[in-house]
Amino acid sequence: MATRTDHGRMGSVDWLSVALVLGGLLVVYYVAPLASLVLSASPGAVASRLGESSVRSAATTSLLSASITTVVATAFGLPLAYWLARAETRWKTVVLGFVVLPLVLPPTVGGVVLLTVVGPNTLVGDWAAAAGVPLTRSLAGVVLAQTFVASPFVVVTAKAAFESVDETLEYASRSLGKGRWTTARNVTLPLAGPGILAGVTLAFARSIGEFGATMMLSYYPRTMPVEIWVSFVSLGLDAAYPVAILLVVISVAALLVLNTVARNPWR
Amino acid sequence: MTLDLSALETSYADFDFGPVDLTVDREVLAVLGPSGSGKSTMLSLVAGITTPDSGSITLDGRELVGRPPEDRNVGIVFQEGALFPHMTARENVAYAGASDDRVTELAAMLELGDVLDRRPPTLSGGERQRVALARTLAADPDALLLDEPLSSLDAPIRRRLRDELHDLFTSLDVPVLYVTHDQRTATALGDRVAIVRDGTIEQVGSPSTVLDRPANRFVARFTGNENLFEGRVVERTADGARVRVGGTTLRAAVSGDAGSDGDESVATGSTVTVSVHPSRVELGAPDGATRTGSDATRAGTDAARANALTGTVARWLHEGTDYRIEVEVGDGIGFTTTVRPPTFDRLGVDRGVELAVSVPPEAVHLIPRSAER
Repeated sequence: MATRTDHGRMGSVDWLSVALVLGGLLVVYYVAPLASLVLSASPGAVASRLGESSVRSAATTSLLSASITTVVATAFGLPLAYWLARAETRWKTVVLGFVVLPLVLPPTVGGVVLLTVVGPNTLVGDWAAAAGVPLTRSLAGVVLAQTFVASPFVVVTAKAAFESVDETLEYASRSLGKGRWTTARNVTLPLAGPGILAGVTLAFARSIGEFGATMMLSYYPRTMPVEIWVSFVSLGLDAAYPVAILLVVISVAALLVLNTVARNPWR
Repeated sequence: MTLDLSALETSYADFDFGPVDLTVDREVLAVLGPSGSGKSTMLSLVAGITTPDSGSITLDGRELVGRPPEDRNVGIVFQEGALFPHMTARENVAYAGASDDRVTELAAMLELGDVLDRRPPTLSGGERQRVALARTLAADPDALLLDEPLSSLDAPIRRRLRDELHDLFTSLDVPVLYVTHDQRTATALGDRVAIVRDGTIEQVGSPSTVLDRPANRFVARFTGNENLFEGRVVERTADGARVRVGGTTLRAAVSGDAGSDGDESVATGSTVTVSVHPSRVELGAPDGATRTGSDATRAGTDAARANALTGTVARWLHEGTDYRIEVEVGDGIGFTTTVRPPTFDRLGVDRGVELAVSVPPEAVHLIPRSAER
């Protein structure tokens, strides 16, 4: 008696297993370098390198700038995301195109275009420098670079989160006498919350890892990615490992947030 | 408190609504129409979800057009309830700011006591709708709009809620617009019924008016009337008419009062649609007193006497509680009616069986050609 399972059938190809083998190779390609990175640096070496002032300062710069960037991106990104999700105008497509542009633009090009606006010998750049807030080679420069590259994640993800909230719920709230703002606070934001948090987390992770635009705008103060680059070119690969491991740890933490609190529990 | 829609119009890419004129007093107006006829658009306009291109909506003399939804005090109950999923039933009901006492009172009235602390996803469809209604009522609206709130419910719970709702709506003492595509719900709940098609109102009237005296074929069909025949008026008198349908002549009582769906424009010689609501067709044993043959004119000229016809059963269908029977009384006329099982058994209904068919002249409604579009 032949069993009626895919495995038992003669001459048939188990395509699910084939898919797993092909896809599995890709997963190995993701995991192996990470494992190799962790194994190639001894814990002692990592600890001592992390104690160095240059590394500590890079970590501080990165965490501080990425935090500021995340706040700025959220403060300006959420209203834009809400508008994109709810407005009824053809201009939405155009605006959304501009929002997505930094996502597809090479970061170094992003740095170039930013320099044409805020760099030295530009109107804005000189004015800000004169006011005591230089927009290049400063924390402000780092934040500007990171915001350009990372804020679209907030807008795009939060837009999808807002759109997933049934507009009927907003109308129900408003028909009960609550205005747009109260409705957004009581109904839309709580329901879109987990999706928004996902966008905020992605923006933070992208900010932490930003390199290209930051290099162009603010080589100093060094962020962790810049520190990795400097260590690599001046001292060699081994010197770059500890900071890289630190970045991996932060990235994994962001991933954990994405997979736990940032999931929509009402779906 | 009166809700007044006046020359209200709006248009979408593929749909034009209006112009609609409608006045709703402290009553339940059931808005009946097929899907896509503009019923929900009407509610959206009143609730402020949709902005009209032109026209006005006043509630108690107050112009609503131009005001945002939150500034209208118009309550709306959506099709699926639209409860806030992240709040308990109690939080939903209290959302508009109702006191604990008021929430408790509404919960008692709508039998929600034991579900108040549960979240919407765990509630049944009927419970959700009752919570949604409680939430809307908690805001003390000046007008109540309901968008097919019962359509997603099973038949038994729908019937039960329908019965409860009628008393509740009456006690509210505000204009109630109740949208439905179900004729039974419309006639059971509505003090008046408005039939909507393609964004305009075809007829407004009491349930018995739209059932027995439909303004046109569309209204007749949509209220469950299949007995529509092409006829010609052969004689028109002060209070009645004789109309020839196929080989049969029927007597019709024609009311002369103005606004009665255009009966007065029925002239001798004109072509009309003859409408007889199935519920007004009576079947009897063929050897009964009504047996006079298919030519009813010979039975007498007294307009008060029923049209007494004889026909044979063409087909019948068991519809659960009733039997739907089509009886052919002559070429071109097949009367459909429903009977209860005892009558069905007593008459021994089966295909080809001969039966007496009695149709009172008041039930024969004539629709002039000009009423069709």
